[in-house]
Amino acid sequence: MSMIKTEKLCKDFGDLKVLKDCSLTVEQGEVVCLIGPSGAGKSTYLRSLNHLETITNGKLWVEDKLLDDRINGVNQIKITPQERQQALLEMGMVFQRFNLFPHLTVLENIMLAPVTVRKRDKAETEELARELLNKVGLIDKADVYPTKLSGGQQQRVAIARALCMQPKMMLFDEPTSALDPELVGEVLQVMKNLAADGMTMIVVTHEMGFAKEVSDRVVFMYQGAILEVNSPDVLFTNPENERTKQFLQSVLNV
Amino acid sequence: MKENPAVEEKKSNPFLRFVKKHKILVIVIIALIAIIVPLVCTVPSKEALVSAIPQEFIELEAKKDSESYQNIGIMSALKMQKQINSADVRQYLVLGVAGQVIDTTGNGFAEFWANFVNWLPSLLNGAKLTILLTISSVAAGLILSVFLALGKMSKIKPIQWFCRGYIFFFRGTPLLMQLYFLWFGLPKLIPAMTIPDRFLAAFIAFTLNSGAYCAENIRAAIQSIDKGQFEAAKALGLSYGQTMWKIIIPQTYRRLIPPTANEFIMVLKDAALTSIIALDDLSRVTNSIMTSTNNVSVYIVSMIIYLVITAVFSKIFGSLEKRFSYE
Repeated sequence: MSMIKTEKLCKDFGDLKVLKDCSLTVEQGEVVCLIGPSGAGKSTYLRSLNHLETITNGKLWVEDKLLDDRINGVNQIKITPQERQQALLEMGMVFQRFNLFPHLTVLENIMLAPVTVRKRDKAETEELARELLNKVGLIDKADVYPTKLSGGQQQRVAIARALCMQPKMMLFDEPTSALDPELVGEVLQVMKNLAADGMTMIVVTHEMGFAKEVSDRVVFMYQGAILEVNSPDVLFTNPENERTKQFLQSVLNV
Repeated sequence: MKENPAVEEKKSNPFLRFVKKHKILVIVIIALIAIIVPLVCTVPSKEALVSAIPQEFIELEAKKDSESYQNIGIMSALKMQKQINSADVRQYLVLGVAGQVIDTTGNGFAEFWANFVNWLPSLLNGAKLTILLTISSVAAGLILSVFLALGKMSKIKPIQWFCRGYIFFFRGTPLLMQLYFLWFGLPKLIPAMTIPDRFLAAFIAFTLNSGAYCAENIRAAIQSIDKGQFEAAKALGLSYGQTMWKIIIPQTYRRLIPPTANEFIMVLKDAALTSIIALDDLSRVTNSIMTSTNNVSVYIVSMIIYLVITAVFSKIFGSLEKRFSYE
């Protein structure tokens, strides 16, 4: 069963074509990294998967369920907002800028969505939340407000918050780009553990080391199009596409 | 552990530290002491009070002359004497006659205090109405304005148009005119919509008006919240309503306090407008004392009262701001 499948996915902002015919299938348990120069549409692609951006053309399946089949922005299939919502809840998202809720404590941040959206039991959710905090190594920060935490700690809380919804896949939108260099490691370690647990992950990243080590496949995007999809071994050592070669040269030789 | 010399110095001066930390509070306390001490000092004994009541008043009571009863001044004097144990009336008696006592003995500063003491009860009554009107209408206006702000940002066009029109109208016309219309105009146009009570009419006009102003404050506060908060909420599956009530609006509280304090102080002073519908707020009481006694110093007393009220509420809003800050 494929977790996510897109077919000829396009996104326009007015005349600007941000995504051009992006087709990709992500299987269960797979870790896929999206790399490419800035402005390539990596983030937009990721965001259109969980409908933070509405796609203009193309098809989108989540867990083999067709959610969108759009032509010029109009959805060709009938689907109720509840059905769509239910499917999208299976996707956890982690943002570049963490986006924790500053007026809630760490524990409240994590528990809010499962209790209000999934209607989970409060005591059970708290147990799960503490377990997840333990997993990301922040159990002692449960009752602290997010602004008191470092960037790396905030991002780990954000990961725990997404995980507490018990999603089947996780989307990471440049999770380490806003961090000080010495804090990148702790976040990547959490993500590595998550990958080892078999979570399906799609990661937009500039951390080539992480992409090489953890991902099953690496996707190279350039100017809104997916130019190359390959295993990290092939892509990093012997890329097929000329653009990929140029990009890797400029990134790895800095 | 070694202590920083600066810290030590701070520790040795707890009183100065307190004064520095709560400047406004200290000013208010000093002002209150300045008001209360002379009051306490000038309270005469019960005997002095009774003896200070003019003999003719007592004689009149004995006669029960119905015609003289129509004279309001005498009637109230009698009432005072009779119900000398009722706390409310005693307050009038104590303050009023105390003023009289001093008034006959001195002039200059003593006279000022005598007048002050005489006026204070009615001024405080006016202040009570002013404060009550301000608190109730700003509170109701805030609730109204949340819906107006959400309505103005709504994607449903008719709701958006209504809220835009509402805010445009109430911000674009004078509050005085709205008050005139509500109290004098509306009963003539639609008799069924006559508002029975002056205070209620003022409350409605002030609520509708401050609702429009606060709506813009709230909209600005909501739009100042980072877009990432909306995205995070959406990614977690929260609906628009849940996002607003659980995530966005709680974050606007702290940002809303300064403009709301501003609005509060504006309304406090705008409450003077209610005098046109004959509501005895602080300003109207002040002016009527001025016209009846021809003594301009009442203006100064009244302004001091306004300043004290403003200072107290500034302090309250300041501590609210601290309480809601999580940064």
